[in-house]
Parts: sequence; C-alpha cells; structure tokens
Amino acid sequence: MRMFATIAKLLVKRVLTAIPILLLVSALLFCILRILPVDPAAMSLPPNATVQEVEAMRTEMGLNLPLYQQYGIWLNKLFHGDIGRSIHFRQDVTSLIGSTLPATIELAVIAMMVATVFGLAGGLFLFYVRGTRAEAVMDFVSILLLSLPEFLWSLFLLLIFGVFFEVLPFTGRLSPGFERPLVTGFLLFDSLITGNIPTLLNALQHMILPCLALGIALSPSLMRVLRSSLLDAYQDDYIQQARLRGLSEKRILIRHGLKNAILPTLSLMGVQFGFLFGGTLLVEIIYSYPGMGNLMVDAIRNADLPIIQGAGLTYCVAVLVISIVVDSLYLILNPKLRVR
Amino acid sequence: MTFEIDRRNLLQMLGLAAVSGSVLSQASFAFAQGADSVTIGWPSDVPSWDPNLRFVPDAQPLFKMVFDQPLDQSPDLKLIGNLITKWELKPDGLSMPFEIRSDVKFHNGDPMTMEDFKYTFVDRIKSGLKLDIANSWRTLTDIEILSPTSGVMKFSAPTPTAPQWLAFLGSYLVPKKYIESVGPEEFAKKPVGTGPYKLVDYQMNSRIVLERNDAYFGTKPKIKRVTIDIIKDPSARTAAIQSGQVDLTVNIPVREAERLGKTEGLTAEINPFTRLILLQMRNDKGFTDMAVRLAAHHAIDKAALSKAFYGGAAVPLSIPATPGTPGYLPDYKFSYDPERSKKLLADAGYTADKPATFTLAATNGQFPSDFDIARALVQMWQKVGLKVELQQIEYSKYFELNRGGQLPEATLYSFDNATGDPEIFSGYLMNPKMPFGAWKGPEIGDKILKLFVEPVYEKRIAGYKAVAQEAVETGANIPILQSVQTLVRKKSLNYVKYGNAWVLGSTMSWS
Repeated sequence: MRMFATIAKLLVKRVLTAIPILLLVSALLFCILRILPVDPAAMSLPPNATVQEVEAMRTEMGLNLPLYQQYGIWLNKLFHGDIGRSIHFRQDVTSLIGSTLPATIELAVIAMMVATVFGLAGGLFLFYVRGTRAEAVMDFVSILLLSLPEFLWSLFLLLIFGVFFEVLPFTGRLSPGFERPLVTGFLLFDSLITGNIPTLLNALQHMILPCLALGIALSPSLMRVLRSSLLDAYQDDYIQQARLRGLSEKRILIRHGLKNAILPTLSLMGVQFGFLFGGTLLVEIIYSYPGMGNLMVDAIRNADLPIIQGAGLTYCVAVLVISIVVDSLYLILNPKLRVR
Repeated sequence: MTFEIDRRNLLQMLGLAAVSGSVLSQASFAFAQGADSVTIGWPSDVPSWDPNLRFVPDAQPLFKMVFDQPLDQSPDLKLIGNLITKWELKPDGLSMPFEIRSDVKFHNGDPMTMEDFKYTFVDRIKSGLKLDIANSWRTLTDIEILSPTSGVMKFSAPTPTAPQWLAFLGSYLVPKKYIESVGPEEFAKKPVGTGPYKLVDYQMNSRIVLERNDAYFGTKPKIKRVTIDIIKDPSARTAAIQSGQVDLTVNIPVREAERLGKTEGLTAEINPFTRLILLQMRNDKGFTDMAVRLAAHHAIDKAALSKAFYGGAAVPLSIPATPGTPGYLPDYKFSYDPERSKKLLADAGYTADKPATFTLAATNGQFPSDFDIARALVQMWQKVGLKVELQQIEYSKYFELNRGGQLPEATLYSFDNATGDPEIFSGYLMNPKMPFGAWKGPEIGDKILKLFVEPVYEKRIAGYKAVAQEAVETGANIPILQSVQTLVRKKSLNYVKYGNAWVLGSTMSWS
C-alpha cells in the first residue's frame, strides 16, 4: 500500500512539474522557430506566387505580428486542441502526428527491448569475463559498437541482410500484398487483435533491421554501466555474506548483484529511451519507415513550422512520460527511496 | 567465480532461438511479384492526394497515374490532347475555346463532364480553398459551357501559356460530384480520378499501391498492379534495386548507377531532362560591373563539371533552356575561356592586389552534387583571379533572402520545367516580380514582362530566345548544366522515356 501511495504522490508531483516544463518548451520552440531565417509564407505558396501574394500570406499566417502575440494565439489554439495546420501537407498537424506516432512508438519500444537484451546480456558477460583476456576483447567490441552511430548500423545491416544475403526486407512496415489492419495504427497490436498472423510475422520481419540498428547503437553504454555497477555492488559486504551462506555464484549474481546494480542501468535506459524516441529520424528515412521521424524530415525540409512545433511538443511529452515511468520503477525496485 | 551457463539453460535458449528463427523465416516477404505487377522505388511522396493542392515536381508522375490532365505531353514534350481533344488560344490570348472527350469516366463510374472542368479550374479556386493551382490560373475568370463537350476558357489578361499549364503542375481534373458529396478532406483520403490506375492502398511516406483502371479511356496499361515504395535515402534505393526489392528506381548517385548498370539483370541510364542548373545573378554589389559577371562565366569549365559530377551526361548549357525545348538556341555557345576572363578583369582594373570579390550561395543536398559544384566553381574562379566566398544556404531560405534583397551576388540554383516552355525557364527565372529571379535590372525585366502577355506563339518564342541570349551576354544569367536523372531497372522491364523525367507505370511492360 505504501508503495502505491508513494508512486501516486510522485505521479501528482511530476505531472504538476510537467506543466511549466511544457510551457517553457513550447515557448522556446516557438521563439527558436520564429527566429530561424526561413519564410514559411513563401514555402506555403507555389513557386509562381507574386511578392504581393507572399505578403498577403504572411499577414494571414500572423507572421507580421509581434512574437509574443503570435505565441499567445498559438498557445490559445493549443489549449483548444488545435496544434495547427501543416503548411506543406495542408492537413491538421494532430492528424498527421496521430497517423505517424504509433509506428515510431512501436519502433522505439522494440528497439529499446533489443538494446536491453543486448545491453544486459553484454554487461553480464563483461562482468563474467572480468580479469581475463576476453575482457579486453569485449571492451574493444563494446567501444567499437559505441562509436558507430545508428545510421551507419542501418546501412551496414541493410547491406548485409538485405542486399548480400537477401534474407530480410528493408523498406516500409509491410511487404506488398499483405493486408494492413487499421484499428489503432499500432501494426503489431492490430495484427494480433485481428488474428492476422501473416501480417504480424511480416511486420516483425520489417522491424528486425531498424530495431537492430537502433538497439545495437544503444546497447554498449548499457553494457558498460551494468558492468561497472556490478563491480561496485560486488565490493559490498552482502555479496561476501551470501557467499559465506553457500549460495551459488549464479544465484548471488541474479538475486543480489544484479538487483542492486540494475538501478543505474535503469536510469540510463530511461534517458536513452527519450533520446531513442526523438532519434529515429535517419533510421526511418533509410528504412522508409512511415513514422514521426520521417514526417519530421519532411517538415524540416519544407520549413513546416506547425509540424515541427507539434512534433517537438510530442517528443517533450514522451520524454516526461518516460521519466515518470522510470522514477516509478525506481520506487518499485528500491525500497530505500520509498522510506524517504 | 563459478557461474556457468548450464546445459539446461543452453538448450532452452537454443530452442527459443530455433523456434523464433523458423517462424520468421517461414514468413515470406516476397521480393519478386508477378509478371503483371511492378514495384518502383521512388524518392518522394505526394504531399496530398488532392492533385490541385501543391506543386511538387517529383510527385507529378505519381499523380499522372491516378488523375488525368486536360492536355498531355508526348515523350519528346510536344503538347498533345488528352481529356481535351481540341483547343485554340485566340490571337488576343484572352480566350481559349476547347472540346473534351465524351467517353471518360471517373474511377467511381461517374462520367466526366464540362462541369468538372469548371469546378476544377474556376469554382474550386474561387471557393477560397488554398490550392496551388489558384496561382497558375489567376487570370482565368470563367469557363463558359457551350455544350456537354465544348466550352471556352476566359482570361482577364492575355495568358499565352494557358495550353502549357493545362499539362503542367497541379492541373489535374477532379470530380465535382464526388468532392461535393464527400468533402475535400475525404477526397484526399480516397481520391477518385480518371487516370489509368486507381489508388487501392496508401501509407504516407511508405507505399502507394495502384491497380489498373480497366475502364480507362486511353491505352490500357499492360501492368495490372503498380507498387511505389517511397524510399527517400539514395543508398537505400540503390540497395533496393540491387537486392531486387524494387524493379526500377531513380535518382541514385551517378557512380552507383554506373556500377549497377554492369550488374547482371540490370540496366542503368543517365538521362538529361528539363531541369537547369544555373547561377542566379544580382546586378549590384560585387556584380555591378558587367565585366566581372562575364569573367565569372567564361571561367566555368562546364564540361569538366559534368564529367566530374554527372558522369559526363549533364549537357553543358549556354542558354537558360534545355536542348529540344522551344527556347533553346542550338547554335549559340558561350565559350569557356579563362584567358578571356583574365583579360576582362584586367581591362576593368582588377589586379592580384585588388581582385574582384563576390559571394556564392549554394544549397547542400537540394540537388545532386550541388555543394560540390559550388566548391569547384570557387576553384575555377580563383584560377582567373576572382576572390569568392562560399556561403551555404537552405533552399527554404532562398525566397526569404531574395525577397529581402539579401541574396549574395551569385546563387547556385536548380529549376525544373516539365513543359520546356521558355516562359517557365527564362521568364520565371528573370521576371523581377517573381520570387525566383535575383536579377532586378529593368533592361531584361521589362522585356520579360512584355513577353508574359505576348499571345502570338512564334513572336513569344523568338522574344524569349533573344532575351535569354541577351541575359547571358550581359551576365544577367549563367546557365551551367542540364540536370540528369539516373534510372536503374531490371533489363526485362520496359518503360517509355520522357524528356522531362516522368516515369509512368502505365507505360511499362515486361519482356
């Protein structure tokens, strides 16, 4: 009961803190985008528009008003659920984000699972081989993995599994000819609830390469943090006491060492998930994945400020939600925090 | 340390991996489709399925498969009838009687009528919808319906390029009855056209699936199903054609195209098309002196640029028009002559101690090798004694800078004109009232403005040829190269090559 009360208290506190953060981020986003030397009015008109037409569009878009007034109008609309209308696509930004967000969430969640599996397994292995020659080799491998960004992994995996071995698809979310169930937009979930197993398997195949690219790029830092946390944990007395009690090394590692060492790793995973959520742009472009990153690239290319603002706020909300979830997990896993 | 992976754990892990692998490997993802289908790897998506909404040159071939334009272009860019069978721009350029086909049906079975024409080009625009075609048809005041198959377009000012615009950006016929019943938003979700294909599935930024319209009035496409994979990354497009995930793709790096052309089962082309690479020039600041502008032009080795960045396939240009288009001057050549550049600069009083200086702006990634070309230009200019600063700009910044008069002396620019008409080349590029042209000098601008209302075709074309040559000879414009489209396809896939780089599934067949 105490744990739930503490989590509820934390949730209320974090939601209240999130409001000024969101306001501040929205103001920053708005100001930065307005200061940028791009002309959304000109971008919203066809190439043969006259100077007068561009001026009329500037007035219509409110770009001639002082910045604080523009922000006030935008904020007022935001409170009424209107993020704006895309300049390039001429559609509501809410519907554009709504149609692309599920793909990015699916990608980010599965990539995080890949990173977690690789990171934890790698961290445990690094710890396991400490003091041996294998440690140096693993150290080298983890640094190598760390130094390659996800877009290079994307190209590398695409060439190996898509072109050389031709065993995995690398464009889009589904192969041609597969039925796309339209329920929530979460393709895996929709395939499951509609019982469409061929689509589910095909969608999973399409996710392997982008998720591996994102996951592999994130896993080395998890490995290294877990390894050093385990090394710290093994300096504590309870490990020696566990050994004296005759527990096996495996049991000591899983039940005692890992349980205590996982907290810093969890913290890092939270931060990384936030970055991952906003960092799928290049991977989505390379794999033609129709998510928010892909939409964001279009928006940047076309100076589509309403989409950039909307997507920026969405990322901000996502990061806040992730941090609340991680803090709650912290409370669940670490009783000491609940006492305080 | 005694922690080990025991036999039971190992077997469990191996079992799990085997089951997962076997399930996923059994789920085929079908690289190759049947003989009546084709998959195209295309670099960009449509902004919306409302074809009147936005002007996006790369989206035109996609629209052309679902919608029809009143007029069409042949592969060699001649204007030909399509939905409109007869048209005649009157000598004053203020009206254009036309006749339409009577056998055309929209994908939903509704017949195409004159009402659809009036709705697309007049009523929809006047309704206040923000459509890009409102700008192309701003002089069109009405379409008078004379009979079920004939009408007259009426203009408020001479509109000499009205026929060309009927086959250009955004001019696609849309169904009045359907849009009025479902609304424009629903129309964009479930578009209905008269084109050779129907849209059966669409996922933004990922895939377009089209199926043959068996009731099409024109030549029936041989391919039943066309899938267009939107692959924005050139490396991924290269990989997709190499692995067979697509049957045809475009706009991959020239070197990759050349490499893939030697691969068994594939063939590659580097096709010049109706897109210019040129320098937009100012008539002031460091370019006030015509000698400096001409010296800059004579110093450019265009053939070397073509060889270095486009495999020699990009045609060096002396005039802001592409070969084969009405405004092109095949016999006119502006020479590459670095010695002449040096002499022009020396005669104008510039020396090594007091060099002519200016700034060149260029985008990076807006079109293939743009920034590389800019760097090469700077080096070429340095060799003749011009001191040039290179500035990188975003394409979206171009209009902002131009409107504020803040563009530097020269800007590397790429300009697309599928019609090939000289109004949309020289006219748009040097009309001082339009946002493209950086040149604001009246000696060129006034002539261009007159040509915009010149209704007599021959006179108009001759006028553009003369003004384009004058612009080049006074340094108001520096055309550099004709842009190229790289195309790689399976050898057994046939397609019709268009001079404006349209790639249409409706012209494809397997051999």
